[in-house]
Amino acid sequence: MLRQIRILTKAQLCNFLNINVARFSKDRKKKNGMIAMGLVWVMLIAMLSFYVGALSYGYISIGLERVLPMYLSMISGILIFFFGMLKAGSVIFQRNSYEILCSLPVSQTVIVVSRFLSMYLGNVILALAVMIPGIAVYGYLLHPGMQFYFLGVIGTLFLPLLPMTAAVLFGALIIGVSSRMKHKSLVATALSMVLVIGVMLFSAGISEMEGEITGEMLKDFSGVVTAMIEKLYPPAVWLGNAMVEGSILSGMLYFGVSISVFVVMVILVASNFRRICGGLFSTTAKHNYQMTELKRTTVLRALYTKELKRYFSSSIYTTNTIIGPLMMVLIAGVVFFAGTEQIERVLPIEGGITALMPFMLAASACLMTTTCTSISMEGKEWWIIKSLPIQTKTVFDSKILLNLSLMAPFFVVAEILSILALKPEGMELFWLLFLPMVFMIFACVFGITVNLRFLNLDWENEVTVVKQSASAMIGGLGGCLVIILCALPVAFITQASRNIIRLIIALAIMGVTLWLYQRNVKTELATIG
Amino acid sequence: MLTIKNLTKHYKGSNKGVTNLNLEIEAGDIYGFIGHNGAGKTTTIKCITGIHEFDEGEIFVDGLSVKTDAMACKQRMAYIPDNPDLYEYMTGIQYLNFIADIFEVSAVEREERIRNFADAFEITASLGDLISSYSHGMKQKLAIISALVHKPKLLILDEPFVGLDPKAAVILKDIMHQICADGGAIFFSTHVLDVAEKLCNKVAIIKGGELIASGRMDEIVTDGESLESIFMEVVDHAKAD
Repeated sequence: MLRQIRILTKAQLCNFLNINVARFSKDRKKKNGMIAMGLVWVMLIAMLSFYVGALSYGYISIGLERVLPMYLSMISGILIFFFGMLKAGSVIFQRNSYEILCSLPVSQTVIVVSRFLSMYLGNVILALAVMIPGIAVYGYLLHPGMQFYFLGVIGTLFLPLLPMTAAVLFGALIIGVSSRMKHKSLVATALSMVLVIGVMLFSAGISEMEGEITGEMLKDFSGVVTAMIEKLYPPAVWLGNAMVEGSILSGMLYFGVSISVFVVMVILVASNFRRICGGLFSTTAKHNYQMTELKRTTVLRALYTKELKRYFSSSIYTTNTIIGPLMMVLIAGVVFFAGTEQIERVLPIEGGITALMPFMLAASACLMTTTCTSISMEGKEWWIIKSLPIQTKTVFDSKILLNLSLMAPFFVVAEILSILALKPEGMELFWLLFLPMVFMIFACVFGITVNLRFLNLDWENEVTVVKQSASAMIGGLGGCLVIILCALPVAFITQASRNIIRLIIALAIMGVTLWLYQRNVKTELATIG
Repeated sequence: MLTIKNLTKHYKGSNKGVTNLNLEIEAGDIYGFIGHNGAGKTTTIKCITGIHEFDEGEIFVDGLSVKTDAMACKQRMAYIPDNPDLYEYMTGIQYLNFIADIFEVSAVEREERIRNFADAFEITASLGDLISSYSHGMKQKLAIISALVHKPKLLILDEPFVGLDPKAAVILKDIMHQICADGGAIFFSTHVLDVAEKLCNKVAIIKGGELIASGRMDEIVTDGESLESIFMEVVDHAKAD
């Protein structure tokens, strides 16, 4: 059994991490894509570790060393849950290898455990990236005993179990409910969105609780933070107490609950695996179609409709790319409901929130464009487009149009909320409307450019493209980074020259967008993929 | 109808591909393309249909270069792959309508053709269902109908009979004959040598990316021999060389 688990986990990891491409492919482009992807991951982990290190130093400096391990455990748990909740279901109940594995002499438990294990290995890296810098800074400054390091490292290895279990539970619930519906994907998307909004509100709740802290409470600030963490995520407090105070009871509670909840989850999923997959993968066919009048439409419209159908056919694609526009509305909503004065107290910049608002809206909308993965999402069906008499320009236009039309309703709502909250006049109103549009078009075109460079058509699971590809990472983060860089001069200059700077930024971005667009559409379809 | 001149296509970091291939397919031809797995059949077909770019040589469809007039060439031909990976998130009729839109086929014409072919292949009732619910054979039939919806002059097929039921195979053969009778041409790869022998008027044998025999079927397969025995003989002879 262990041998089978090892073999299946290895195969899963080969698929997710494209290990065989790195080892055996002679295609330089693919290898470069993998190197870029690796570099992005290393950079992200390094940034996270640096941030955690600095945060830990800060916590210890203000005398909060007792709560540091539990705080970091909670952060790890939230990160693992947040990144896992939208993909856990599709990883555990992955369709592609299901039929092959079911025909082999492999038990359902082996299949489920191997899938959990491959997910666990990714999550444990995230947990280590958060915990190890904190443990190192704590150790360097406070010289704790051996039990701190021992429990810290072992505890970190067990950290992903509970958030992973929760993520799989939610994933399975969404899949289970949606599999009974006619429009499986749309229902799954709607449920996932409810979950995302729930997590966002939960995070907002944490900030609110921090805001409620009074001067009286500061006398025992570490006690307040501990109580807060205990309320939100008790296992983090158990691990923290075990590490810092050497509490055996807390340690036993942490390891006992983590292992038992996880094992129960694996047993539950394994015993219902075939039934869940059966319900999930079954297709219904009415077999009663009668020819009716067919309508002709333009090539661009036909391609756009195809893009729209593709988009809403995949809940993981929809959910991951709609988060950005949703955040745009949330940001505008926060400004609207909290009021500009309160926001400006937190963000004391020249010109106030009005100057930064266009950039904040644009950065959130462009967090994850559909275009940065839309060519990759064609996968094995890409031959259809390549063999048809279609211009590259029309194909890319349809993909850009889809992205813009998805952003449009969110943009309108965000703009109305922003205008009502900020009451901008004259040029400020113009920039509030115009700059986000410029950046959104740029992000869509930039997404196509990045996807062309880091194309992956040989995927088995959509998660590989939407959540783990170099294209998704670079396309999403790159666009945001450009917007943030553009926002910096606007944030720190005086009112007098702000209009000129904004004009220069808008013209520069429009120029780059046009250049990238023309470069993209000149690409021959035969050379793509 | 289709001229391939000195076609060379090699994959990066691999010896596989096609080297210096020459073929001439005329109007009225049903041209069979046979060879072992990995011989270069699909690579050649993908170069013709614009799915792959090629390193050297030229391909002309109806006198137009695939390199410089790709759009016009694609308008004149249709391609059916060996493994029909179609848009699973569309229904059959949505897919056919999509293809008809791309080829700018009028509403009346597309309706008539889809009705005729769907009835012939007996999949009309399933056209309202998602392609993801189709069997391999049904997908193959849908791919065939989609290829015929714009009345192509040149039909390129990669292993077209795999997965088709006997009745559908007969219908496809009839359609192939009809296209040729109307002045079109068929170029298709196959492993089923019996079918090739009975259906094709011309045949080409490819091995290791190189053309080792081509010509009229009645010149290659002489009295008392079969295409199978000729194929084995030619391939073995090429191996000995």
